[in-house]
Amino acid sequence: MIRRLWALSRKELRQLFASPIAYVVLTVYVALTGIYFFQHLVSYNQLLFVYQSEGLTGANFDQGTVPSQINVLNEVFVPSAEDFGLFLLVVLPLVTMRVFSEERANGTDELLLTSGLRPWEVAAAKHGVTYLFVLFLLLGSAIYPAVVVTRGGLGMEHLVALYAGQLFYGCAVASLGLACSSFTSSQIVAAVLGYAIPFVLLDFAWLSNSVSEGVAAVLKEAALLSHYGSFARGVIELRHVVYFAGIAAFGWLLSVASLELVRAR
Amino acid sequence: MTAKIEARRVSKRFGSVVALDELSLEVAPGEVFGIIGPNGAGKTTFLRILTGYWLASDGDVFVDGVSVTRDRFKVQATLGYACEQPRLYGDHRVESFLRMMGELRGLGGERLREATSIAVTRLGLESVLHRRIGVLSKGFRQRVALAQALLHEPALLIVDEPTVGLDPAQQIELRRIIAGFRGSHTVLLCTHQLHEAEMICDRVALLDRGKLAALATADEIRAGGSLESLFLAKVGTSAGVAQ
Repeated sequence: MIRRLWALSRKELRQLFASPIAYVVLTVYVALTGIYFFQHLVSYNQLLFVYQSEGLTGANFDQGTVPSQINVLNEVFVPSAEDFGLFLLVVLPLVTMRVFSEERANGTDELLLTSGLRPWEVAAAKHGVTYLFVLFLLLGSAIYPAVVVTRGGLGMEHLVALYAGQLFYGCAVASLGLACSSFTSSQIVAAVLGYAIPFVLLDFAWLSNSVSEGVAAVLKEAALLSHYGSFARGVIELRHVVYFAGIAAFGWLLSVASLELVRAR
Repeated sequence: MTAKIEARRVSKRFGSVVALDELSLEVAPGEVFGIIGPNGAGKTTFLRILTGYWLASDGDVFVDGVSVTRDRFKVQATLGYACEQPRLYGDHRVESFLRMMGELRGLGGERLREATSIAVTRLGLESVLHRRIGVLSKGFRQRVALAQALLHEPALLIVDEPTVGLDPAQQIELRRIIAGFRGSHTVLLCTHQLHEAEMICDRVALLDRGKLAALATADEIRAGGSLESLFLAKVGTSAGVAQ
């Protein structure tokens, strides 16, 4: 079993990096996160400058004193985490769209599924390699936050929590994209669904005024953003980890089910 | 190593379309068995059920007594399948593709190297071993498909339309290779080419609209004139081809 999984994973890695999409996504994601992180950092510095400038007095300014809520965590890490989460939502379907649908369109799924491989093995290799790619993406974007953490007086736990949150969130989003890809032979359809479903799941705040309080509370718990925010503040809560792991497992199960459904066609 | 195939009243329906209609047949160990028929006769559908890729709507196929419906992975371990229009990974080189397929079949280390080397020699792939599959000719892609199907020395070799689109020289060569498996493997050959089935197969099943229209041995075919006569007699009239 290990040998088969290892061989399948190598095949997936090879296919992933044989396509220019992987490199484009890596480059665009690292560039976007770098630019936005830098912009938040510049804004924070400007804010510090304003507060620390001499001669600024009045009701809202206490000369030379920076309010405690103006700090690198609130002004740089939290907004950056929100941006990074959105960027993941934009780039990941570009990677996940081809993973299953390409096999189906080329007919190579028939080769795999008649070679004695279990559908769960095929799905596990595809999901595993995509999660590894999410990790690559995040490592590429971690340089600037790492510099700020080490030089800016924030504890390393903030960096770990920020990236753990992105990893869990990214894997959950990727898993949904992979599930979409497994049900179609069209990469375009897979991409559209891979965008639509995570975007719908992102936040249900827009619905909260139209439904009862109970339903609004359930929707809030179901939203991706409700579970993502605390990581940026340096807190890793088990319930949020379980939520993202649950979504990833659900996506994997859907992929397995789609491979089994091919048989029952 | 050979295997016996037994199909018992196998049916496959896609909505209201009946692709296979209570098909029953037996293939003896070591036999080269041909399945012929017009388009839509159910040939590929039967192979897909036999390989466990599709589930039969009714009935079952047994390979050495093992049910494909109940234990498809055990059956898949005993068969090698070279499907129609070889579905391979074009970005792989032949060598790495065969190595990967061997690993997926559970081979490793010295056994894998040996199995790859035997398959490469058997199919004459030495000259293209380091080339990408995507740039190979159709004939070589067919050979690669056959090589991957043979890596684990399966008891049952299933080949679907192996010579479609090949030039005459490639067709002759591939037929020679497949005929060479007689006795060492049970071979199930699905083809549109009547003379090919006539030349290679010990017995031939003629499918028409999902049913078994005729079953004949090579001797019976020769006694009746040719496979073409049999085809026209059984299928031609119903398809409006004969007259």
